[in-house]
Amino acid sequence: MTDISVRGLTKRFGPVTAVDDLTFDVPAGRITGFLGPNGAGKTTTLRMALGLITPSAGTALIGGRRYAELPHPRRSVGALLEATGFHPGRSGRDHLRILASTADVDSGRVEAVLELVELTSAADRRVGGYSLGMRQRLGLAAALLGDPRVLVLDEPANGLDPAGMAWLRRLLRDLAAEGRTVLVSSHVLSEVAQTVDQVVIINNGVLRYAGTLDGLGSDSLEAAFLELTSR
Amino acid sequence: MRTEILKLRTTRTPVMLLAAAQLVILAGVSGLFVSGDADLADPFTARRAVAHAGLVSIFSLILGILAVAGEYRHKTITDTYLSTPRRGRVVAAKLGVYAVVGVLFGVISSVTAVAATAIWLTVKDGSLDLASTGVWSTLAGCVAWNACFAAVGVGIGALIRNVIAAVAVALAWLALIEGIVGQLVGDLGRWLPFRSGQALEGVPFPGVDLLPQWGAAFVLATYAAIFALVAVSTTVRRDVS
Ligand SMILES: Nc1ncnc2c1ncn2[C@@H]1O[C@H](COP(=O)(O)OP(=O)(O)OP(=O)(O)O)[C@@H](O)[C@H]1O
Ligand SMILES: [Mg+2]
Repeated sequence: MTDISVRGLTKRFGPVTAVDDLTFDVPAGRITGFLGPNGAGKTTTLRMALGLITPSAGTALIGGRRYAELPHPRRSVGALLEATGFHPGRSGRDHLRILASTADVDSGRVEAVLELVELTSAADRRVGGYSLGMRQRLGLAAALLGDPRVLVLDEPANGLDPAGMAWLRRLLRDLAAEGRTVLVSSHVLSEVAQTVDQVVIINNGVLRYAGTLDGLGSDSLEAAFLELTSR
Repeated sequence: MRTEILKLRTTRTPVMLLAAAQLVILAGVSGLFVSGDADLADPFTARRAVAHAGLVSIFSLILGILAVAGEYRHKTITDTYLSTPRRGRVVAAKLGVYAVVGVLFGVISSVTAVAATAIWLTVKDGSLDLASTGVWSTLAGCVAWNACFAAVGVGIGALIRNVIAAVAVALAWLALIEGIVGQLVGDLGRWLPFRSGQALEGVPFPGVDLLPQWGAAFVLATYAAIFALVAVSTTVRRDVS
């Protein structure tokens, strides 16, 4: 049981309702795209699922539990968030070593994930000198560190070069094929159309569509997306 | 705990703060002897000199602030809470580790202060008698002051979360506000944090009304505990975005 289930999830920041009574499911073994215009509430939803933001109402459960109740959160759920930071003075390898230590993960995994994201040669450089794409790769390495059954990725394609995009697409497919749960937000619709099995589309915090790509019934994902989010 | 230690070892800031503190001690001790205020016959002179190891607890305080607010600044706090969603534990581990770091900071500073004092006393044809002059009790006070201030720093960092604001508030308090509050409250001023730290050194300062050494230790430990409680309770609920 590694599905993500969101039920009546709501978050108000003062007068702003960022997420409004959201309900959807993310099944294991598939890639689920999480789409919506800027400010639609994607990041807020993902942060609530990860226990970083307290919902005003509703729940987001991973394998039937709240994130904070997971016995080994890092080994169960791998997360990449847009505002995750790195101490600029630390090397990429040290950053992962620290995570491995908090996550109760064997330190041998550090080299394995560095290899996987093709960052081994830059691993001893200070993160402050990394490019955007390199940071993104480091973030992905961190998400994969605990070999988790569930992946929650907020705009992972951000800053990746074309080869990186293709690599990410293959990686996500492989992970889903292994039966893992993959929830990934993105603005790159052409990429999403090639990668995901199903989509969840929100606008102004409200659910507009949850289901397969075919079920959208439009010529293109882009046309359907614009239609659904134009109100 | 292990992770907090690793975090400390993998950045340069702690070492730089420690180095700065040693320079301040060397300058402070030298200043005391160069200025000619040092009365070699006064048994408190040596203690007053080594007491500089306590004054640098300001650096321990900043180190404590950076432990939490620094994580918000670099946004590594997200990763920290993803690994340990029970946030109370994160803060508790930081408090524990930084109290120990404060002790280490105090011990290293004490060594520097003792060495500098011994050299100056020799230059002035005196000598530093570690055994008889209560130097040890002053040094113990210095170490305790550093430890408590490191823990208080963690509390301030958790409360204010913005590095610059937190450091500014802490320094403003020490340099300015405590003096003003001290004047307003009169006798009660003895119980304020910096004054308690001074009292912890067991050296009388002319014109300053101080608590006895043990009383000061208790008061500072209480401050550390209060800040710890506030840190844990405010941290548990807040959104991280
Ligand atoms: N801490 C906060 N305080 C106040 N408002 C917030 C906060 N975080 C998010 N919001 C608001 O909530 C709404 C949703 O923001 P969110 O970041 O979840 O959008 P998003 O779908 O991730 O957008 P993007 O595609 O630009 O990343 C926005 O209106 C935003 O201004
Ligand atoms: Mg976002």
